[in-house]
Amino acid sequence: MAELSIKATINGRKVARNAKPHQRLLDFLRDDLNLTGNKEGCGAGECGTCSVFIDGVLMKSCLLPVAKAQGTTIETVEGLARGGELSVLQKAFHKAGASQCGYCIPGMVMAATAALRANPYADREEIKERLGGNICRCTGYQKIFDAVELARDVQNGRLPATALLEQEHAEGDFIGKNIRRIDAPGKVSGKLRYAGDMTMPGMLHVQVLRSPHAHARIVSIDTSAAEAMEGVEGVITSADVPGEDGFGVFVHDQPVMARGKVRYVGEAVAAVAAEDPLIARRALSAIKVVYEALPAVFDAETAMQPGAPVLHDYAPDNITKHIPIRVGDVEAGFAASDLVLEENYSTQAIEHAYLEPEAGLSYVDHDGVVTVVSPSQNITHHRHMLAKIIAKPISKVRFIMSPVGGGFGGKEDMIYQGMLALLAMKTDRPVRLVFTREESIATTAKRHPSRTTLRMGFTRDGRILASHLTMICDGGAYGLSTEGVMRKAAILGAGPYAIPNVRIDTYGIYTNNTPSGAFRSFGALQTQFATESTLDMAAERLGLDPFEIRRINAMQDGGTTHTKQKLGKVSLTRVLDALEKGSGWEQGAPAVRGATRGDLGRADVRPPVSLGARFAAEDKQEAAE
Amino acid sequence: MLICDEYITAETLADAFAAMDRHRGRYRVVAGCTDTLPWAREGRAGDVEIPVLIDVSRIPELNERHVDGKRVRLGAATPVQRFLDDAALGRAMPAMPRCAVWFADDQIRAQATIGGNIVNASPAADVTPCLVAHETTLELATANGKRSLALRDFVLGPGKTALQEGELLTAVTCDALPGYGGSFEKVGHRRSLVISTVCLAVMVKFDAAGRVFEDVRLAIAGVCPMPRRLTEIEQALRGARLSDAKLEEVADMPLDVVQSRTRQEYRRDVVRGFLMRGLINAAKRAGADPAVLPQALEAAYG
Repeated sequence: MAELSIKATINGRKVARNAKPHQRLLDFLRDDLNLTGNKEGCGAGECGTCSVFIDGVLMKSCLLPVAKAQGTTIETVEGLARGGELSVLQKAFHKAGASQCGYCIPGMVMAATAALRANPYADREEIKERLGGNICRCTGYQKIFDAVELARDVQNGRLPATALLEQEHAEGDFIGKNIRRIDAPGKVSGKLRYAGDMTMPGMLHVQVLRSPHAHARIVSIDTSAAEAMEGVEGVITSADVPGEDGFGVFVHDQPVMARGKVRYVGEAVAAVAAEDPLIARRALSAIKVVYEALPAVFDAETAMQPGAPVLHDYAPDNITKHIPIRVGDVEAGFAASDLVLEENYSTQAIEHAYLEPEAGLSYVDHDGVVTVVSPSQNITHHRHMLAKIIAKPISKVRFIMSPVGGGFGGKEDMIYQGMLALLAMKTDRPVRLVFTREESIATTAKRHPSRTTLRMGFTRDGRILASHLTMICDGGAYGLSTEGVMRKAAILGAGPYAIPNVRIDTYGIYTNNTPSGAFRSFGALQTQFATESTLDMAAERLGLDPFEIRRINAMQDGGTTHTKQKLGKVSLTRVLDALEKGSGWEQGAPAVRGATRGDLGRADVRPPVSLGARFAAEDKQEAAE
Repeated sequence: MLICDEYITAETLADAFAAMDRHRGRYRVVAGCTDTLPWAREGRAGDVEIPVLIDVSRIPELNERHVDGKRVRLGAATPVQRFLDDAALGRAMPAMPRCAVWFADDQIRAQATIGGNIVNASPAADVTPCLVAHETTLELATANGKRSLALRDFVLGPGKTALQEGELLTAVTCDALPGYGGSFEKVGHRRSLVISTVCLAVMVKFDAAGRVFEDVRLAIAGVCPMPRRLTEIEQALRGARLSDAKLEEVADMPLDVVQSRTRQEYRRDVVRGFLMRGLINAAKRAGADPAVLPQALEAAYG
């Protein structure tokens, strides 16, 4: 390998270092210079978290071979706040609350800096366009755009510098006030270290061998060639698990690595710890696994049929969880109804797409405490599960929650922490695993895909007399949070409505698809989609305004839900009022137009997407000519 | 992951040819690298081991830029961003700034090169249709000489070109079209960083009164194996007066251009809308008489 001798000026300092020819500038900045404010969100130029200035021009360092840095002047996010003083833009991000998980923020700050350097007077549309190469998953972007506009106005003297300061408020008075986040400075400066940014002396790099099969028996695994490779310090398979091998949020049905058989494409089969990621990747291809393919099932309803392939011995019917709820007599309710609607609904798997891919660092400390640092959303539960898996007392297991670069439920599962602990124990060295974006998408939990049949009965004046909902969810290969999601789906399955007769069945089913798990709203989305869509159809059939039919059926203060929960205050009616006003709703049944169209041309209504805001001045000039 | 044993940054054309000769059969030429690195990832090519990468983006000849009233000559390593930075270039190639603003994002277009876009020969390439509309000729060089080839003869299909072993694309030359109005219409799944589902480059020139099309250049991509001119429509418009009826007529002309694997009907609808919008936008920028600009169509498509 012909090493490159890179000379560059980085954040004002001269740097001369050797680099490997396959390194990207991003790797060089992060791994060799420890400039970890430059994040890797995708590695494919899609997310912008790795943006740096090369000779004054913003580029994505994940798309730059390190050789392209030769002789250049580079400015990274670390260079914006030299001496600890945040730039105007960074202060504006702090003031506007533009950082949430913070993982995209260094890249956003860089893109915003480039935007205002290119056009100090850029309007909001142009700012949006110029930030188009950066993705954020938390904020919805509005606060980021607010921050850039604030910085622009301060820089141009349209606003005083004091506009960047926190709004004054009395001690303990927070509601309705602009309170700056105390963790924002660390995020806007790129100083906050996520798990993938952390290193330890002597640290090894972990890569995971994953199943190419959806369902197969593992006949044999031969790791000897990989173990013999120079630079490989440890290889593990399920045979290295000393204790009870199983994790999951409810049922502990998932082994740390596939045991006996694989149940989905992407399931971990073995893991390697090596001196660098490239050696680890090469070692993966030296591991020989013999599989014997098994019939697989990819559809939840098919998996419920007799004779379908069985994934787990403990669940011969492939049912992870069935939650039934019975209130009153739905058949009597339908018989008394003037209108009965029945419809089928389906929703798809959805990826959380947090900007921080899964990552973790593990080591065994001087007291023999097995320590795992990771952005886990459930560290206490993970700690208890890991203690059993590695057969150690709970006092010898420690979990440290690193900053979570977005979770949304997707980081509740102990998908990789077990492998890290086992490799730290086996090699007696710190080990780190950082998922690629592709790995994160292919192997971690998704929102449950669902199929729902909903039958609802209504009186002529719009009251719901009965609701019968059956939802079948594809839980994928392992349980993860499926039980909880099915429970929540059933609890919320009648919607926020007072319905005398309810029958609900939610089923979480094992299939050979990627496991489904927790995701914001946790089962509510799927059933609400069915209930709310049916209400709209009923409104149309009964000639009622969609808001009206919801008000007629809304739970009231002191009401009791179909799961016998006594409610104190119910805010639904107020929410509906605000929604009706805010949306510029035209009153009437869904099939008619109101007298006035209030949804177009208002200042707070977004115009259709277009491109070319930076040509606006030019176009005006052309028109004038 | 893209793995190489050696990364050579060629300082001169001679360096590049020497390296290509020395590593025959075990190298790949790269420029901006914005397609190569994402290609070598899981789900596409996976881990790719290429012994030698030869970077030609710093070779002076590949960064030359010459613009006059008649011709434009651009080195193959010219970044797409130049069409936004260089006003003279933008005037000579009036659809290009509009194309560039839709190209990837601010960061990538500073790095991605026109030569790379051409050589990759993606059916969804954004730069190529504009260049096709400009009657572009490519300069292809070897260690021993040079040849010229029309761009339309160079791209042979998705990912396929007439580039031969040992040959480098060094420059493109094309008609300068000052006084033309240009537009570039594009749609994909989002605004930035999006691969074209349909894209259309439009350039028009009017008579002195701003009423009659003197020249029309239309090129489409994203819907066929390689970018192509819409010559039937160009011919129907040349010499015709701009009017609602004329635009409706050409937008409805039967076209066999949509050969995509999916969503053909949708794409055909988009092509119709893009023809209207592209012609109206380009006409406005070409100084068309406002009295003949189709007001109703502009409201619908502009």
